[in-house]
Amino acid sequence: MDGQIIANAYHHEYWGFPIALYFWLVGGSAGSFVISSLGWVFGVKKYKPVAFFASNFAIVLLLLVPILLIIDLGKPYRFFHLLMVTSFSHWSAPMVWGSWFILTYPVGMVIYSYFVYKGNQTYARIFGILAVVLAIGTHWYTGVVIQLNPSRDPNHDSAAPLLFLTGAYVSGIGLLIVSMWIRNKFARREIVPESLLIDMSKLMLYGIVFDLFLLFNDFLLATYGTGEEHTMLYDVLLGVFRWAYLYMEVIWGLLLPLLILIIPKIRNSMYWVVLASFMTATGVYGMRIWWVMASTYYQGHF
Amino acid sequence: MAERTFGFNGISPSLDKVGRKRYAMVVDLRRCTGCNACTSACKTGYDVPLGEWRLWVMEAEVGRFPDTKRYVLPRLCNQCDQPSCIRNCPTKATYRHPDGFILQRYNRCIGCRTCMVACPYNARHLLSDKRRDPRNPRDVADKCDFCIIRVTRGLAPLCVASCTGGAMIFGDRNDPKSEVARSIRDNKTFTLRPQMGNEPQVFYIGLDSRIADPEFAYHNRSEQVHNRENTFKTGSELGGDFGGDIIDTEMDFWGLMRHIGRNFKTFFSAAPNKFFRGLY
Repeated sequence: MDGQIIANAYHHEYWGFPIALYFWLVGGSAGSFVISSLGWVFGVKKYKPVAFFASNFAIVLLLLVPILLIIDLGKPYRFFHLLMVTSFSHWSAPMVWGSWFILTYPVGMVIYSYFVYKGNQTYARIFGILAVVLAIGTHWYTGVVIQLNPSRDPNHDSAAPLLFLTGAYVSGIGLLIVSMWIRNKFARREIVPESLLIDMSKLMLYGIVFDLFLLFNDFLLATYGTGEEHTMLYDVLLGVFRWAYLYMEVIWGLLLPLLILIIPKIRNSMYWVVLASFMTATGVYGMRIWWVMASTYYQGHF
Repeated sequence: MAERTFGFNGISPSLDKVGRKRYAMVVDLRRCTGCNACTSACKTGYDVPLGEWRLWVMEAEVGRFPDTKRYVLPRLCNQCDQPSCIRNCPTKATYRHPDGFILQRYNRCIGCRTCMVACPYNARHLLSDKRRDPRNPRDVADKCDFCIIRVTRGLAPLCVASCTGGAMIFGDRNDPKSEVARSIRDNKTFTLRPQMGNEPQVFYIGLDSRIADPEFAYHNRSEQVHNRENTFKTGSELGGDFGGDIIDTEMDFWGLMRHIGRNFKTFFSAAPNKFFRGLY
């Protein structure tokens, strides 16, 4: 079709890189907390040594979140409007659900951490279950905030929360492996055995495979989809978002780590595992970028 | 369609309700000359900051020389019957007036921009921090409100009053004798993006399917206009708040890095002003 739009109001990207970073941090937090809970909640005893560190790590990641979110508001001092239950907060808006998740999740983690520190199995288990539900809820809601916008094309997809959770899982484990490896360099006692970190990389591998599977399904959907989905597909594969999606997420974040983790000669070498973890952890940020920004960019031209 | 309400205090659509009004607009594109009188009246009337619009006129040139035609399309908030902005607003800052206006409460809005993401028509904007009159609301979402302040006093909205070609028709759809009800009844009318399920209440007569298509708008965006917008928004003091939030058309690796850096720079440099300029 020949034609040109010669006058239009081009709008801002409404949510930018800081919000993508927020999704990434929440994801990392949820992922590392899931690992933390393996030993004390789900009874996989060999993961008990990492539980305390992983839980605290998740708390630290989550503490950065309100800073980003509140600065990003146009009116930062009004953040409490989200929490005024009877008068202001609007329960049909997923952002309100998320505000409560973000508030309660760190509290649950702190209590869980305390009982892990004290070695109290019963209470650690009870609060661990609670905090795991909150961890998943916190990250689930970020997917839902993005998902419930019918006009934003790749986002309006029931797989969105699942993609977010899988990304959270792999990036959380990746971040945890890298930070524990660095910690091992400096710590004098309670050094986490390398074999445990390599075991964790196996868990990450399953996540990567599942993430690729979900992405492949999304790819199929877009290939057979509407014109708008074709446009979206072009943009993330060859267009504006190719760096965020194709290079950063798919190749750097998923395919190369997948290769590293399945080649028998190197998958048990600590340096390769740390490299793969680093690549996955950073690559997932690419997913957050295109997922948050691509649709608003494309729609912003209408 | 079955009646839907939103939130705990949702107000159901007033269309065909006895004793209620349902204000709507018909834009007769056969009569629209694209003079932008509506845009300038709206801009000046509401002190809309540079780079933002409550109402704007989209223009497209379609065809190959010499068979070309220019289409115009005035765009404004569609005052939908099933508005996704209300559904997604976390603080009830945006709400529906019983007569069909979708309104914005500036003192509740926290500026989270969810409504903008939810709106399929890009009809919402964030008011700039730097207003001509500093008493005006800043950093909150704003939108066209069908000039409720004029309509409740018996005047036509600014865009309708200023329309040189008489293309904009405004009135109560529930009154079968009103001009707007007759126009909708007697003409074939179209709405923008009906598939979104928002039931928009701005109707167009003679709408060209190309200019109404987001895909066309994207694929045939003018590089020149796009670059000018980018230059303006990243360079201007007035539009600079979210300057980093525009994506370069050419986005190679360094473009991405530049863009990330610029976005975080504006993000953090705007923060002190937001926190220390006063409580509200």
